[in-house]
Amino acid sequence: MKVVVVGAGMVGNRFVDELGRIAPDIDVDLLGEESYEPYNRVLLTELVAGRVDLAGLALPTPDQGHVRVRPGVAALEIDRARRCVVTADGEFEYDHLVLATGSRGRVIPIPGLRDGLPRGAHVLRSLDDARDISAAALNVERAVVIGGGPLGIELACGLRHRGVEVTVMSIMATMLDRDLDPHVAEIAERTARDLGITFVGDAAIASVSVADGRVTAVCLADGTTYPAGLVVLAAGTVPETSLAGAAGLETNLGIVVGDDLRTTLDPHICAIGDCAETSGGVSGLVAPGWAQARALARSIAHGSDLELPPIAGSAMRLKAVGLSVVTMGVRASSADEHDRVVTLSDPRERRFIELVARGDTLAGVTCVGAPDLAAHLSTQFDRPGMLPIDPMHLLMGSGSTGVVESASPTTMPAATTVCRCNGVTKGDLVHAWDGGATTVEELAGATLATTGCGGCTKLVCGIVDWLTESDPPKISHDATSVREATVPSR
Amino acid sequence: MTDTHCPYCALQCAQKLGGDPIAAEPRAFPTNVGGMCQKGWTSAELLRAQDRITTPLRRTPDGSYVEVTWDEALDDIAARVQAIQAAHGPDGVAVFGGGGLTNEKAYQLGKFARLALRTRLIDYNGRFCMSSAAAAANRTLGVDRGLPFPLTDLNDADVVALFGSNLADTMPPAVQHLGNVRERGGLVVVDPRLSATARLTEEGAGEHAQLVPGTDLVLVLGLLHIVFAESLADDDYLTARVDGVDALRRSVAEWWPERVAATTGVSETQLRRIARTLADASPHRGGRGAFLLTGRGSEQHVDGTDTVTAVINLALALGLVGAERGGYGAITGQGNGQGGREHGQKSDQLPGYRMIADPAAREHVAGVWGVDPGLIPGPGIPAVELLLSLGAPDGPRALFVHGSNVLVSAPDATAVRRRVEELDLVVVCDFVPSETAMLADYVLPVTQWAEEEGTMTGLEGRVLRRRKAVEAPTGVRSELEIFAELAGRLDAPSTWSTEPREVFDELRRASAGGRADYAGISYERLDAGEALYWPCPSEDHPGTPRLFSESFPTPTGRATMVAVRPVGPDDVIRAEAPVWLVTGRVLQHYQSGAQTRRVARLNDSMPHAYVEIHPLLAARIGVEGLDDIRVSSTRGSMVAQARISPDIRPDTVFVPFHFADAGMVNAVTSSATDPVSGMPEFKVCAVQIARAAS
Repeated sequence: MKVVVVGAGMVGNRFVDELGRIAPDIDVDLLGEESYEPYNRVLLTELVAGRVDLAGLALPTPDQGHVRVRPGVAALEIDRARRCVVTADGEFEYDHLVLATGSRGRVIPIPGLRDGLPRGAHVLRSLDDARDISAAALNVERAVVIGGGPLGIELACGLRHRGVEVTVMSIMATMLDRDLDPHVAEIAERTARDLGITFVGDAAIASVSVADGRVTAVCLADGTTYPAGLVVLAAGTVPETSLAGAAGLETNLGIVVGDDLRTTLDPHICAIGDCAETSGGVSGLVAPGWAQARALARSIAHGSDLELPPIAGSAMRLKAVGLSVVTMGVRASSADEHDRVVTLSDPRERRFIELVARGDTLAGVTCVGAPDLAAHLSTQFDRPGMLPIDPMHLLMGSGSTGVVESASPTTMPAATTVCRCNGVTKGDLVHAWDGGATTVEELAGATLATTGCGGCTKLVCGIVDWLTESDPPKISHDATSVREATVPSR
Repeated sequence: MTDTHCPYCALQCAQKLGGDPIAAEPRAFPTNVGGMCQKGWTSAELLRAQDRITTPLRRTPDGSYVEVTWDEALDDIAARVQAIQAAHGPDGVAVFGGGGLTNEKAYQLGKFARLALRTRLIDYNGRFCMSSAAAAANRTLGVDRGLPFPLTDLNDADVVALFGSNLADTMPPAVQHLGNVRERGGLVVVDPRLSATARLTEEGAGEHAQLVPGTDLVLVLGLLHIVFAESLADDDYLTARVDGVDALRRSVAEWWPERVAATTGVSETQLRRIARTLADASPHRGGRGAFLLTGRGSEQHVDGTDTVTAVINLALALGLVGAERGGYGAITGQGNGQGGREHGQKSDQLPGYRMIADPAAREHVAGVWGVDPGLIPGPGIPAVELLLSLGAPDGPRALFVHGSNVLVSAPDATAVRRRVEELDLVVVCDFVPSETAMLADYVLPVTQWAEEEGTMTGLEGRVLRRRKAVEAPTGVRSELEIFAELAGRLDAPSTWSTEPREVFDELRRASAGGRADYAGISYERLDAGEALYWPCPSEDHPGTPRLFSESFPTPTGRATMVAVRPVGPDDVIRAEAPVWLVTGRVLQHYQSGAQTRRVARLNDSMPHAYVEIHPLLAARIGVEGLDDIRVSSTRGSMVAQARISPDIRPDTVFVPFHFADAGMVNAVTSSATDPVSGMPEFKVCAVQIARAAS
């Protein structure tokens, strides 16, 4: 069997990797338009932030015998009748064609941008875009990011981390509006402000000023002007459907596929990832795309039916320097009347946590400024049937509840173990003291305390000090009032 | 007074035995620094075990045991072995050994299996212990020596990172070597529980990453990702000494911190902190060195070999392996877990860590044994597979057990019991009536630690002398004598010395030129106080305390990074089994508890298993105070008292595995194994929990 994949991005690459592992007898060609080997597109904003270098983006190349990765090979045309993909490097015949063409950054059609991007204006989609933006960040003082979604915010934080003054503009009223309810977005915006990022909501962007072919400012309809040597467009993406459209396949927002990920008009052609429009919509995140890749690889390898992975409720984990936002599942605004919604709001600390418990499961999580708890709640999300009786307790995380045992030799109870290695309690030491052992060495001889790892030596010294004061040696045992009356014997 | 070492774990605390009644006290030694835990302090009690067996026992049809003479027992065993092998071939008989046996006994057991029983079916309980670390070290570094450096090196480092080790409970005196790194804030502990060891990170002493059980590999991939992404790797070292770097770097590109956080429950901020702490401790960034150590917590998984491999990859990325201070090590568990895996108990190995399928290795060992190489059988099968094949159609019909209590210690132990019950002949050598012995057709009473001479190889690869302090009770024999007697009755070729020193000298010749070369190590040198670490190829060689400083024992002299990917636990969380079960040890007990449950002071302070459970989970299932909890899986169930504690994750319960009967947690654990090492997945399975009707 021959499988051809068009698009060597995160999803296309993952599909080939999965298929190559489970079906060593299938012949696979992966055609990638960019001349780079497969790389991790999800980390492009991290590259801009300087938290990962170029080499850190390279993905495993599944190229091995029956799987061939072909960078720099652009698909020009799909010949459905002959079942082959036409490229400048020749034709690739297929039994199954998988389109993973992804999406491109949306360019808003305003003066200054609509006739091609001037120098200093970029979308962030490819490695080249990220390198250009990183280079620009070294030379400009001010940047405007257009778009207040996850990509825009990650980018803004990354540029800010590099010392650039950043303004984020969004046509929506609030930051991360798809992920956060307005009152939560408010807290994220405050964090951004703390970092030195200006957020402009409800922005009616009128034009981008250009001088000598280079951007100089972004202008709003009300006349406000934001000078900027760098403008990055992160105002959504457009599924890349041109190849499919030219081949006569059904396209809408994306390439329309059924619940089996096959295109509606040609069962030999499938689409996955950002270019595919399923009954659940277009994804835009990597995790659902990966889930589709895995499901389709199994279906093709085993000739079996496929269960369409859901898109809705996918987790969003912001990778932004200085701003932690994690959301998954149901939000308070979409919770139903039976759901329990538990909220912790701590604006002063720029922290907000919201949980939605549905029946016996944690059905929704929103965490701003709480990375440790977000990590824990991610592991509890959508698990069957073991919610605490009171979902409020989920706010405590996985760690201990902060029970502090008394470490003072005076106040610790007699039953407290002092020497773990030898199971010696405070009571045992007091008993040995009463028996005449009045130095650390003598207590060690009598009880074996301190003779294992020695970690309790300081504490035993403290107990000796306490006893020397409260119950000096050679004095009768009338000091019991200051310690527990019952001392267990060994 | 007799200078010897503790009978239990791989730390092998140095002790003196003497007095009347005989008692143990610690003595100065680099590993235990004069310390000893309560197991060591009370070890002499074992010599007075009330139910010590001193006469061979034969099981009668009604299940009771009658005393028989040694000759009766050995004659009948030999005759039945011959009959079984006549009907079923040499592989009709299998052998199961133990990591507590001396080097001499482990060596002779392997030889006995191959030459006297002529079976390829031998394996041992070290498969449950060190096999993942061994497989990982062999494929990356070219050799498997638990710690390839002296334990005392830890004192000088900036960071010690423990991946799934609870040293403070399993070998408490070793904690003394963590004092300095704790003062520097450099102790990192990765454990789903706030264990006694994890508590050592408190008050600024380091970091505790309380991960979801079974996600160890993902966590390490996350650390590797950060090391490469933030350019923290030692590029000069990698260029000079390591292969496979590019593929490894690519393989971790997909494991960015936020993604890892969602799987492991360890936040990206903590991951970055840990990665940077490790990097700052590394020599190439001016640090004093870092040691990355794995324990069973990260190894006992279906991807245990891959997890250890990832830890080694991390140590290599930071330029630690072979550095003056720093490196990777596995913390060996059983007393002779190191030596026990080097001299022929493993299904695919011959003495000296030689591979049994290697013609040159077979020729060398056959030469020492004075037999034709063709007489040595080929590779057998690993422990779990072996145990589950017992009594099956085409499986073995007889089993010899030495130094192991598999009916308590094997995963899915109830299934193992059913297999053992199917056998025609079970011979168990032990000194107490362990649970496994009580299923045997013959129990042969053997000497124990203070009644015999021998050597043990501690967790550092240093060979230690075990010395006789007391006479064994009348009627008891050493395993060396039993092997010699049975070899004679089975017309085995070669010689069968009953003198430990002679057997050790033969072991030295057999190991000569192998990876674990003991040729230059003699009782004389050890008794003179020399600290001898293998390899030690000749009597004028000083031994090798530290490996890898110049090169790696691989064909190219370079280490290899091996890219790995997580598969996750074999069991999955689901509505019928919504909680993770983790098993492990307590300070008072050793292994299956067959020895320590017989020491009154240990048993009194920890007489039963317990179920450690978070208060929230306890409340959820209506358990309070001292209620009993039933823990069930598709394999079976166990019941023990609740120990309600916030030290464990609220999605996980912990049960110690030292106990039999109703409290036997291995009735619940899974027999899924690592495809590379054969290690069972003791450290995570999905269970249902409920309050048990009292």
